[in-house]
Amino acid sequence: MPDATPSSSEQTGSPATAPNRRGPPPPTKQEISNTQRVLLSFWAVVIFLGLPIWWKTTTVYRASLPLDVMKDWSQGNVCQPTFPLRVAVEASHITPQEAQHLIKTTQHALDDLNEFSAHHLRLVVATSLSNETMETEDANVLEDDIALLVRLKSTTSSPTPSFNLHTFSPILDVFYGQNQIPSSSSGVSPLASSIAKELQSIFAEEQATLTHLLSSISWKPTQTSTLSPEMASTMTRRSTRSFKYAPTYHLTFSLFTPNSAPSDWAIESALSHHITPLLRALSPISNFTIDSQLQMYAHFSPTFPDPAYDPESKSYTLNTSDLSGFINAADWPLSPSIGAGPTINFILYVPAPHQTPLLVRENGASSWLIPQWGGIQIFNPPTGSAPSSLSADDLSPVMQTFTNQLLSLLGLPNSPSSLPVRLSTLTRVHAASLIFSASDTLGALARLTKSLPNIPIPNTVAHSVDSTIAHLHAACGHLRQGRFAAALQDARVAEAEVERAFFERSMVGQVYFPDEHKVAVYLPLLGPIAVPLVTNSVREWRRWRLARRG
Amino acid sequence: MIFRIFLSLLLLLPLACCSDYHEKLLLRPLPGNALLASFNFRSNATANSFDEQNFRYFPRSFGQILQHAHTKELHLRFSVGRWDAETWGARPWNGAREGGTGVELWAWVEAKSDEEANSRWLTLTNALSGLFCASLNFIDSTRTIRPMKTFEPEGLHPKSMLPNLQLLHGVLPHEVVCTENLTPFVKLLPCKGKAGISSLLDGHKLFDASWQVMSIDVRPICHGDDESNCILEIEQTVDMVLDRERSKRPRDNPIPRPLPMDQIECDVSKPYHAEDSCYPLEKSSEPAWDLAEIFGRHIKGDCPITGDDSMTVCVNTQPERIINVFTNPEDQDFGMKKIPEENLTCFEPPSNGTDFSLSFPEQNMTTPLPLASPRIHAFRSITGYGQERGGIQAIIQNPSSTEPLDVIYLESLPWYMKPYLHTLRSQLSPPSTIQPIKETYYRPALDRRRGTHLELKLHIPPGSSLTLTYDIEKAILRYTEYPPDANRGFDVAPAAIRVLPGPNDAVDEDTRRRGIYVRTTSLLLPLPTPDFSMPYNVIILTSTVMALGFGGIFNILVRRFVAADEVPENKLPLALTALVARFRGRIRQVITKAMGNREKTE
Repeated sequence: MPDATPSSSEQTGSPATAPNRRGPPPPTKQEISNTQRVLLSFWAVVIFLGLPIWWKTTTVYRASLPLDVMKDWSQGNVCQPTFPLRVAVEASHITPQEAQHLIKTTQHALDDLNEFSAHHLRLVVATSLSNETMETEDANVLEDDIALLVRLKSTTSSPTPSFNLHTFSPILDVFYGQNQIPSSSSGVSPLASSIAKELQSIFAEEQATLTHLLSSISWKPTQTSTLSPEMASTMTRRSTRSFKYAPTYHLTFSLFTPNSAPSDWAIESALSHHITPLLRALSPISNFTIDSQLQMYAHFSPTFPDPAYDPESKSYTLNTSDLSGFINAADWPLSPSIGAGPTINFILYVPAPHQTPLLVRENGASSWLIPQWGGIQIFNPPTGSAPSSLSADDLSPVMQTFTNQLLSLLGLPNSPSSLPVRLSTLTRVHAASLIFSASDTLGALARLTKSLPNIPIPNTVAHSVDSTIAHLHAACGHLRQGRFAAALQDARVAEAEVERAFFERSMVGQVYFPDEHKVAVYLPLLGPIAVPLVTNSVREWRRWRLARRG
Repeated sequence: MIFRIFLSLLLLLPLACCSDYHEKLLLRPLPGNALLASFNFRSNATANSFDEQNFRYFPRSFGQILQHAHTKELHLRFSVGRWDAETWGARPWNGAREGGTGVELWAWVEAKSDEEANSRWLTLTNALSGLFCASLNFIDSTRTIRPMKTFEPEGLHPKSMLPNLQLLHGVLPHEVVCTENLTPFVKLLPCKGKAGISSLLDGHKLFDASWQVMSIDVRPICHGDDESNCILEIEQTVDMVLDRERSKRPRDNPIPRPLPMDQIECDVSKPYHAEDSCYPLEKSSEPAWDLAEIFGRHIKGDCPITGDDSMTVCVNTQPERIINVFTNPEDQDFGMKKIPEENLTCFEPPSNGTDFSLSFPEQNMTTPLPLASPRIHAFRSITGYGQERGGIQAIIQNPSSTEPLDVIYLESLPWYMKPYLHTLRSQLSPPSTIQPIKETYYRPALDRRRGTHLELKLHIPPGSSLTLTYDIEKAILRYTEYPPDANRGFDVAPAAIRVLPGPNDAVDEDTRRRGIYVRTTSLLLPLPTPDFSMPYNVIILTSTVMALGFGGIFNILVRRFVAADEVPENKLPLALTALVARFRGRIRQVITKAMGNREKTE
C-alpha cells in the first residue's frame, strides 16, 4: 500500500480539522459478498473444526452407568428381603401321619404368633427332607439351610413338655409325655402351641435385630413390625458397639504393664485353648488373624487422673468417665495390623504394685468394652505383686472375658443359648445389612455422578457397578430361598465391588480442576481472536439488515 | 584397635543364651573433645513365635511389616553428619552399622520373580515410611538397585531359602533425619527409653551430635537346614559423636561464650604474651566430663530384662582414669568390672529405676589412648562447570604400607545424572603398572525408570591412592519433576565401598559376616533449572503470536481500503473528549468550593 502512507500522515497531522470529507464510496456487491464469505468461512472453521476439537480434547470420559437401576436399589424397589427359616422336625417315635399333623398344628400356632411377616419359620419333616436331599444335587446347601432341628422324644419322668437346646449344635430336644401327641382329629394341642412358643422365643432376638435393621435404613420397608422402646435401645446399643462387617478381622492381644513385670505370658496356650476354637466356629462368616504383643513401661498419658484409693473396698479406683482416656494412644503401640480389615484390640493391663487392685469405682468391674475398637481388662494379681510370668491358669478367666467381648464386638446376639443358632442369626443379619449398605452405596454413587458432571468415570467403575448389581440380585434371590450362607457370600462380593467403585482413585483428581482455570489459560488466545471476529460479524450483520430494509 | 573393642564387646554378649534381650553402651573419648557413644540393643524371637505373630521383645509393628513384605533380612540406616576419620580414627563396627547421609535401606526379600520382589519391596518401603515417619516411600524404581557384590547376607538363612532371596537396595540422600524418626525407633525397644541405657536417648542431644547413625538390622540365624530351629534377631544401634563442650551448654542459654582468662592455658613463650593477650595451648590433661551433663539426663537404672551380661555401660579409657559413680538415692549397689587389656571399664547400673551417672575429673594422663587407624580413606567430588556436563572424581587411599586392598565400589546414581562409562579412568599414585579395575558391573539408566548402577572391583597396592574419574551429562527435567527447592541442587547418594577380607585378616565369623564398609559423603548436583513461571509465559507468548497472525490475515481479508479523506468520522474520540472535559469541570468546581470553605474558616 505505497499510496496509503502519505495520506495517513496527513490525517494524523490534522485529525480534528477535516472540513470537506467525502465519505467512503459505497462498497460494491462483490466486496460485500467477499467479506461475508470470509466471515462465514472463519465461523465455519470455528464451529465445525475448532469447537469439536476443543470438545473432544477437554471432555472427560464418563462410562455410562445404569443410574435408574442404581437408584431403584437404593430405594429398595428391587429387593424386599425375606427370611424364610426352615426348622426340621425329627419324630422317629410317632407315625408319619401323627407327625404331619403335629407339624401342621404347630405351624398354625407359629403363624398366629408371628408379627413379622418377612421373617417366618417353616417346619419340615426331617425324614422327608433327607429323602429330598438324596434327589437334589446340592445336598450341602440344603443341609446348611436348616436353622434348627427339633427332635421329639418321649419321656415319662420330668414335667412335660420340656425343652433342651443344645449349646454347641443347632438341636432342640422336646420331651413330651406319651399322651400329649395330638390325635389327628383335634384342632388344637397344648404340645403344638408350646413348641411354637418355644421356637418363637428362640428366634425372638433375631427378629428384633432384623426389625431394628430394617427400621434403620433410609427407605422404609412395608412389612416391619415395631419394637418396644427398651428393645430398640438395646439393639441400637449393640449396633453402635459392634464392628461393621468385614471379611477379615485382625485380633491383637496386648499385655501392658507400667513396670517390667510380668515380662512373659503363656499366650500361645491361652489362645489355642480359648480363642482358636471360637474362631473356627466363626470362620464361615469371617476370617481372623491373631497376633499378640507384650509391652512393658507403658504409662498412662500425663492427663489421665491417678487412680484414687478407696478405703471401703481397699482398692484403687477409676471413674467411669475417665475410662475413655485409659488408652495412651500416643505412647502405646496399638497401630492397626497391616492388611485389609479392621483390627480388634484386646488389652490386658497389669497395674503397678502400688496401684493394685485397680477397679472401676461405680461397679467394681475390672473389664470394659470400647465400641468398635476392642476390650480392656485389668489383671489384678491375687498376691498383690505381679509375677514375672503369667501362666495359662492366670490367663484362663482373662481369655473368657475376651471371648465374650469379642462376641459382642462382632454383634452376636445374646440369646438363644445355642452358639450355632446365634452364628446362623449373625449370618442372616450380616447378609441383610450388607445388601442394604451396598444398595445405599450404589445410590450414593448415582447421586455423586449426577451432582458432579466434571468427574470422569472410568470403565472399571462401570464394571464394578454391573458386578455389584448382579451379586445383589443373586444375594437377594438366595435370601428369598433361604440360602443364607450363599446370600452372605454374594452380598460380601457386592459390598467389596461397590466400595471399590465408589473409592475409585482416578475419579477424584478432576474435581479440583475447575472450568474457570481452563478459561484463564486459554483467554490470551481466545480474546484477541474472538474480538475482531465478533465485531466484524456484528457490523456485517447490521449492514445486511440495513440492506434488507432499504 | 577400636574394632577389636567392638569385637570384644560382642564376645561379652553370648549369642543365643538365656535371655532374649541385650543392651550395651560404649563410651569412648575421642581427640578434639569429642565423645563417641555407641548404643546397641539386641533382641531375639524364635521363628515359631514370629510366624504365629506372638511378639514378646521383638516389636510387633516392625515384625508385621517384615511378614507382610516377606522380608527375611533387613538393614535400615538413618544418618546425619560425617565421620572425621583423620581425627577420630577407625569407624565403629568397621562401618558395618553405617549408611550414607540420609536414609539407606537394603533387604533380602523372598520372591519367585523380579516383579514380585519389586511389589514386595514397594510394600516394605511404604510400610516403613509410615512406621518411621520418613519419606521412605520415595524409594521408587529409580532409586532401587540390586547390588551384586557389595552386600552379602549377614544372617544364616536356611539353604532351601537362598535361591528365592532377592537383594534390593535403596537410598534417600535428601532425607533429613530428625526427632520424629527417633521416637518410633525408641518405641521399638522393650524398655522404651524409660529404663536402661536407652533412657539417655534424647532427641535434642542426639541430633546436636557431629555425627550420628541410627540403624536397624534384622537377620535370621538358623543352625542347620531346619527352619523351625531359626531365631530372628533384631539389632538396633545408635552411634554418635558428641562435642563435649557444646553438649555442656545449657539448653536455655545455648550461645557459646569465651572461657574466663584464668581458665585458659596460654603459650607464655610467645612474644606478645601479656596480661590481656594469650595464645591458647591445647590442654595437656584429659578434660573433665559428666555423663548426665553431656546427655542432659541420667540413666534410669537397668533394663530388668537384660540377659546375663548386665554390665551394660562400658567406658573405653586408660585403666588409671578416675571414674566417679553417681547414684540417686545415694549408695546404691552397682556392679563394676575392669578389663585392662582392652582399656575397658564396665558398670552395671542399679535396679529399680535408680538414677545412675558417671563423671570423670580432669586428670593428667601419662599414656594416650590408642587410636585405631582406618583401613581405607575415600573421598568423592563433582568436577567441571556449566549446566550441561560435569565429572565425578573419587579418591580411594590405602594407608597400609604392607597390605594391598581389594574393595568393591558401588555407585547408585539418579537417572538424570548420566555417566559416560567410556570416560572411566583409573590412576594410581604413586604410578604403577597394575590395572586397578578388576571387574565392572554396569547397568545403564533408563530415563524416569531406573538409575545407574555401577559396581567396580578394585585393587589398590599398599601405600597407594587410586583416583577414579568419569564424565557425566546432566539431564533436563520436566517442569513437574523439579522439587520445591530446585536451585539448591539434587542430592546424589554416597558411594558405598566394601573392603574385601584379605588373607591376613584374622577375624571371627560374626565380624566377617558384617564386613568392613566405608561411605563417601553425598554430593550436591546442580541441574539446569528453568524459570518456574515458564508454562504461563509460554501460553501467553504462543497465544500472542497466534493472535497476531490471525489478526493480520483476518484484517487483510475483511477490511476495506479507502483513501484517507474518505474515512468515515469516528464518533468515539469526540465523545471521549467531551466526557473528559465535563469531568475536569466537575473537579475544578469541587476544588474551588473546598478552597472557599477553608478561607471562611480561617
